[in-house]
Amino acid sequence: MYDLNFFLQQLSNGLTRGSIYALIALGYTMVYGVMKLINFAHGELFTLGAFFGYTLLVTLGLAGSLGPPLAIGLSMIMVLGLVALAGHLLERVAYRPLRHSDRLAAVVSALGASIFLQNAIMLKWGAQYRAYGADLLPNVVFRVGGFNLPLVRLLVFVAAVVVMAFLHAFIHRTRLGLAIRASAIDQGAAKLMGIDVRKVIALVFVIGPALGGLAGLLVGLYYGQINYNMGQLYGLKAFTAAIIGGIGNITGAMVGGLLLGLLEALGEGYVSVAWKDALTFVVLIMILVFRPTGLLPERVAEKL
Amino acid sequence: MRKFLCLCLGLAIGLFLLGPVSPVRADDPIKIGLMGPVTGDWASEGQGMVQVVEILAAEINAAGGINGTQVVVEVGDDGGTPRTAAMAAQKLLSSNVVAVVGTYGSSVTEATQDIYDEAGVIQIATGSTKISLTGKGLQRFFRTCPRDDEQGRVLANNVKSLGFTKVALVHDNTSYSKGLADEAREIFKAIGVGEVYYDSIVPNDRDYTVSLTKIQAANPDVIVFTGYYPEAGLLLRQKRELGFNVPMIGGDATNNSSIVEIAGKEAADGYYFVSPPALPDMKSESAAKLMATYQEKYGTLPSSVWSVLAGDAFLVLVEAVKAVGPDSAKMAEWLKTGLKDFPGLSGSITFDEHGDRVGEVYRLYKISPDGQFVIQ
Amino acid sequence: MSPDLPSSSLPAAPDANRVDGANGATGANGGGAGSNLLPGALTGLAALLFAFLPLFLNAFAGSSAPYWLDVVNTVGLYTILALSLNVILGHAGMFHMGHAAFFAIGAYATAILNLSYGWSIIATMPVAALAAGAVALVLAWPIIHLRGDYLLIVTIGIVEIVRIALTNNIFGLTGGSNGLVGIARPSVFGFRITRPQHFFYFIWIVVGLTMLLFHWLENSRFGRALKFIKEDTVAAENMGVNTSRYKLMAFVVGAAWAGLAGTIFASRMRTISPESFVFSESVLLFTIVILGGKGSQKGVLLGSFLVMGLPEFFRGFEDKRLLVFGAALVVMMIFRPQGLLPSKPARYRLPDPWPGKLSGAPAAEPVTANGKRAQNGAAATGAAGALSEPSGPQGSDPQSPGPQGPGA
Repeated sequence: MYDLNFFLQQLSNGLTRGSIYALIALGYTMVYGVMKLINFAHGELFTLGAFFGYTLLVTLGLAGSLGPPLAIGLSMIMVLGLVALAGHLLERVAYRPLRHSDRLAAVVSALGASIFLQNAIMLKWGAQYRAYGADLLPNVVFRVGGFNLPLVRLLVFVAAVVVMAFLHAFIHRTRLGLAIRASAIDQGAAKLMGIDVRKVIALVFVIGPALGGLAGLLVGLYYGQINYNMGQLYGLKAFTAAIIGGIGNITGAMVGGLLLGLLEALGEGYVSVAWKDALTFVVLIMILVFRPTGLLPERVAEKL
Repeated sequence: MRKFLCLCLGLAIGLFLLGPVSPVRADDPIKIGLMGPVTGDWASEGQGMVQVVEILAAEINAAGGINGTQVVVEVGDDGGTPRTAAMAAQKLLSSNVVAVVGTYGSSVTEATQDIYDEAGVIQIATGSTKISLTGKGLQRFFRTCPRDDEQGRVLANNVKSLGFTKVALVHDNTSYSKGLADEAREIFKAIGVGEVYYDSIVPNDRDYTVSLTKIQAANPDVIVFTGYYPEAGLLLRQKRELGFNVPMIGGDATNNSSIVEIAGKEAADGYYFVSPPALPDMKSESAAKLMATYQEKYGTLPSSVWSVLAGDAFLVLVEAVKAVGPDSAKMAEWLKTGLKDFPGLSGSITFDEHGDRVGEVYRLYKISPDGQFVIQ
Repeated sequence: MSPDLPSSSLPAAPDANRVDGANGATGANGGGAGSNLLPGALTGLAALLFAFLPLFLNAFAGSSAPYWLDVVNTVGLYTILALSLNVILGHAGMFHMGHAAFFAIGAYATAILNLSYGWSIIATMPVAALAAGAVALVLAWPIIHLRGDYLLIVTIGIVEIVRIALTNNIFGLTGGSNGLVGIARPSVFGFRITRPQHFFYFIWIVVGLTMLLFHWLENSRFGRALKFIKEDTVAAENMGVNTSRYKLMAFVVGAAWAGLAGTIFASRMRTISPESFVFSESVLLFTIVILGGKGSQKGVLLGSFLVMGLPEFFRGFEDKRLLVFGAALVVMMIFRPQGLLPSKPARYRLPDPWPGKLSGAPAAEPVTANGKRAQNGAAATGAAGALSEPSGPQGSDPQSPGPQGPGA
């Protein structure tokens, strides 16, 4: 039973999940990097992405009228925009007034915003599980050697990786990216260098949520089933991923996400389904015991 | 600072004191409580319960009420958790309800049984199928839903009569699902159906491909899943995605029209489940009427059968008030001895001395290629 | 409660207080060495009035009296829990979002001892506390050195691990997802506590004892050491304070007390299951402490009334009640970022003889040990709210001082 095919199967399972965790984790880590704030409402922005996608593809029937490929492409762009807007509003309402306050105040504000958003989604879209049609993506399964690789899974993975590659290039190759990195290291010094830190924060609160929203859409497309409180679990897992990678570090979030996905799939496959989440946390604790700031910690020397 | 402090504390305590004041009048309507998960993980079930019961109450009131007195439904949100439920129960008691309909989850019901019992109020659970709930000797506890052992028996017997011999038994580690799986497991052993796999999945995980590949390796000829519809839908969908063609059969928590939408018609085709009859299959006149009104009001049918069972609980209570007046002791007595074959929405209702519903409720369903639930 | 003469003698204080209240909230603990928590008349009167609450409710609330009493009892129970979390989060400055784990261990210890071994509820109380404390000791040992947010995720991990273990019926003791049913009601000196009004006195007497105990602890050598560590771990270490040991002690004490609250919970609910101890319970407790004003007992008290009480008042909103509650949380934090009743900066009277007989060297020293302390000491004179970050203390408050936010 536990042969190479089984292993490869779990590997592909893990990487698919992991790529979604990574996309969400990016939002946590970018916001944290610049603001040192754990955005507990990020999971709800992810949910929001899933439901915007639902409205576009199912309720408005874009998939029917435009054909799936075009509809999916279009709704990806619209979801990115809409959730970015939501993220921006969230920042202005719930976090901006608290920028100079105790950071725990911002954490509780984030928790409040999370409760608010979750219930707002419930009231808008209902408490039922909602389904993206199963016919949005073709059910093609590649048989590689002895294991099955559904096309959908490949698409999700590729989409996530492409987006992350873009983001990586943006952060490391552009001036705006440089501004983000500078603000993450030292806001004061960044200001002295002429960087408008407020704008950087606003920018981070647009990119992070947009990626989270995109992850929501991908979950809807891939699993086909969404509900209003799905953000809780995904949010917690992605946050874990961000921490494993070293919160504040963008590459770390990607690595952490993929690693978490693999850890889960292998834990489920080889150890126990019921205990796998506990196992994940045990591994997390072990990692932190030996590397107290995650695998790829933020490069901030003065942190004690 | 001190002033502010006093003000805040004063305000908080003042609110607590003032909040509850409510005059009690003699010609008050008859109050029936409805405790359901209006928020939280099972909010869709709770909201369905409220919708159905409120439709029924409106009908009764439009027809002149119970013996001329109007009936009012007091909703208490149990949030799907025991702690919130305990408060909801106290809240309902505080508005002088004679009886309470609900709730959905067994552990949530369990946390409130004593509270209602001590207050002498009737409770009719609607989705709480855990066996031991009616085994406590509580005189005023009833349920309109069947028990897990009955479902386990029906499920296991159907698996056998469909000709399956090697089952993979999957539950989701919730109280309900594990209980049902364990019941079925016992009966499989007794009737000679082999078990090749037994494990749980984690609800809300969404990705069950790992479990499915493990099940595939065990090579069963049927998967028996005792959990809820969101996971059942995903199992069906991902099973198909992996090209793993094995039939699946489930319990009553998968009786929800969403399962087809989640899985897709092709993947859902051929899925079996046992359940109390769904609303369209309830042959009663009252069910047809409820269906029409509900359809008109919400544009769809109730998505789950449990909300209909809440409706049944409500109707039974109304009947009891009609017979003996709004006195919970007399009503409880009457429900056990006076109520015989009451024509409820889901069929005829009679309670035994434990408060369990008498009679076979379960039917076998199969999903047709066009996504319909077809009674077998 | 604790009358604060200096601050009320500053007429312009409220806002000045608020501005550097953020510093105050992170920077100090309630009371302080000089003041008393229970200064007498006012608190005594309030407590006395409160003791008659069941009678008031009976008189005015009629049939809803048991319900409101039950709400007040829940508030009381969460006050006990939040006070115990306050030791960890407010006093020691450790970001701990997994308190429900220890609450659960206490509740299960009580349930198991009562159901399987027939112990009386009161007798299980110390065992519940010990069990929770022991587990905390084992779990916290390797992680106590973690910085702010890393500790946060680990404590979330702990609560998840405990929940999963309970759900999977660990050691065959916990009843899996069914939980444990039929726990006895407590009886004190032969008196059986059953009704809400009985629980009212039972719970609120424990609340009172908890407040006294933690107040005493806060002003003990232990409390002062914690204060020092929270303010500036490096300085504390340099002064010879064994920071890990003190932090661990705070963690264990807080956890043990949560275990004790678990006993009360178990005997009040009579049935416990893993879903009573999920992550969101920990979040509620965390919210209570921060919303109320971390480090401050009265803040925690008010926080419990709001966080546990408001959703009950919002029941009228039915399915919108949590929406309103979430929005209320955001608004309250924006208007009182330092918490509703933040603890006041500790003031130490500096007696003339410097190296004097004050045994609390670690507490007395820091007043001049670095700039931050000067700020605390001088809070009453309104000085220097914006001193720049001295040396990035332990991630607990890098944002508070500088106007440019996170400097670290």
